Amino acid sequence: MIRFTQIASFALSLLVALALIGLWHFVASARLVPPIFLPLPEKTFDALVTGMQNGVLLDASLATLRRMFFGWFLACLAGISLGALVGSSQKLRIYVAPMLETLRPLPASSLIPLFIAVIGLSEGMILGVIAFGALWPLLLATTHGIVSVEPLLIEVAQALAMPKHKVLWKISLPSAMPDILAAMRLSLTVSLILAVVCEMLTGSEGLGQWLLATSRAFASTKMFAGIVVLGLMGYASSLIMNLVEARALKWKSAAN
Amino acid sequence: MSTAMPAQISLADVDVSFGSKTVLSGLNFEVFKGEVISIVGASGCGKTTSLRLLAGLLAPSGGSVSFEGKPVRGPRRETAIVFQDYGKALLPWRTAEGNVSLALEVMGVPGPERRSRISELLALTGLAGHHDKYPAQMSGGMQQRLQIARALAQDPAVLLMDEPFGALDAMTRQSLQDELLDLSARTGVTIYFVTHDLEEAIYLSDRIIGLLPNPGRIGRIFDVPLPRPRDQLITKEDRSFLALRHELYDFVKGSEH
Repeated sequence: MIRFTQIASFALSLLVALALIGLWHFVASARLVPPIFLPLPEKTFDALVTGMQNGVLLDASLATLRRMFFGWFLACLAGISLGALVGSSQKLRIYVAPMLETLRPLPASSLIPLFIAVIGLSEGMILGVIAFGALWPLLLATTHGIVSVEPLLIEVAQALAMPKHKVLWKISLPSAMPDILAAMRLSLTVSLILAVVCEMLTGSEGLGQWLLATSRAFASTKMFAGIVVLGLMGYASSLIMNLVEARALKWKSAAN
Repeated sequence: MSTAMPAQISLADVDVSFGSKTVLSGLNFEVFKGEVISIVGASGCGKTTSLRLLAGLLAPSGGSVSFEGKPVRGPRRETAIVFQDYGKALLPWRTAEGNVSLALEVMGVPGPERRSRISELLALTGLAGHHDKYPAQMSGGMQQRLQIARALAQDPAVLLMDEPFGALDAMTRQSLQDELLDLSARTGVTIYFVTHDLEEAIYLSDRIIGLLPNPGRIGRIFDVPLPRPRDQLITKEDRSFLALRHELYDFVKGSEH
């Protein structure tokens, strides 16, 4: 029964995607939008295959993927450890909360010039921008998750005379896991956006630069191929996060 | 209990106050090794507070609490707590095995030894074969058994139980009562049992401390003259059971005025 509904919903979602591509085909072939702005889907697909085969689009995609992943990884490390620190100490929360609330709303992209000035135009700068922009959801979620641990569990830990770092490791962090995983998903999207923005601004090889260059050259099939790759990256990362969540939060679905 | 025996836990002139409010006043009693001692009284008279004192989770404002002759300065391995709210006291992300393991991990028991201890404890609490279940997959009775298994993993000398069966249905409660008595007979662990159920207090205990409210203080300590092993039907039909029930009822009712 479950299998059947899973297959059915997958078929339906495929149908929706095909219908959208059909609509795209219709709009493009009827020339409702000039082909220089909207190419045919099949031509886009050709450009995608060519770009992957000759390696130019493939290299650009891998470069973006690498930045997204490493930037996100840094954000996870920094966000979760800072969040654990801030969540565990009420004093620290009082001291740093106003500063964090001032930094948080700053768009990470607005800090790119500052990052360039301080770090220079390097790969490290790009990773820094991505990590800075993507760490906020993690920092907030981890802090929140740790602050809202069931108080009785803390009492259980006290009754066992558990040292503080063990309470964090064995009780607070696992209990904050659902929040943290949701934030990891959010941060992954932010990382992809920032990777592309940084590539556009710095001209480093990647999909951002590819999009900018192809659009300036009115090479719309290539540009669309780049957009399709970005979309697929987003989709794939969301699928991977689904798998990770299903594994890490097995206990949540076990109840039903 | 013979008074010649040294007390396992003793409270001397213990006061507890939160701010200007005195919650417990002038508590003096002793708990002896291996006995089952219950604590009853109107709600708000400090039953749970007394348990937290014994656990070392709370320091007295005056007087002293000592365990085997030494002052209690904080939680210790020898005293384990079983909380009323089993649903919240278990780690939902750990299986039955993992929950018992928590106590063993804290004590630094090495991995291979841990596994055999866990199996032993789950079997002892009637949870053999449920190793891999998450708390959410277990009934209330099973969850409370699991909490008891985790408490026993500490290898405690004293089990402090805070209305542990209060939220269970009547049948489950009775079987857990019998299992607890069996456990106390087999292991000799001392049990300090907070309850508002007077029959439960009599059925389980050797002695019952009756607390009076405002501020919480000891009204009377009742001896339970019923023989062991006890039986849900026979014990509860015993004349002295009924007489004690009457006495306790009058005591608690009278304290509410």
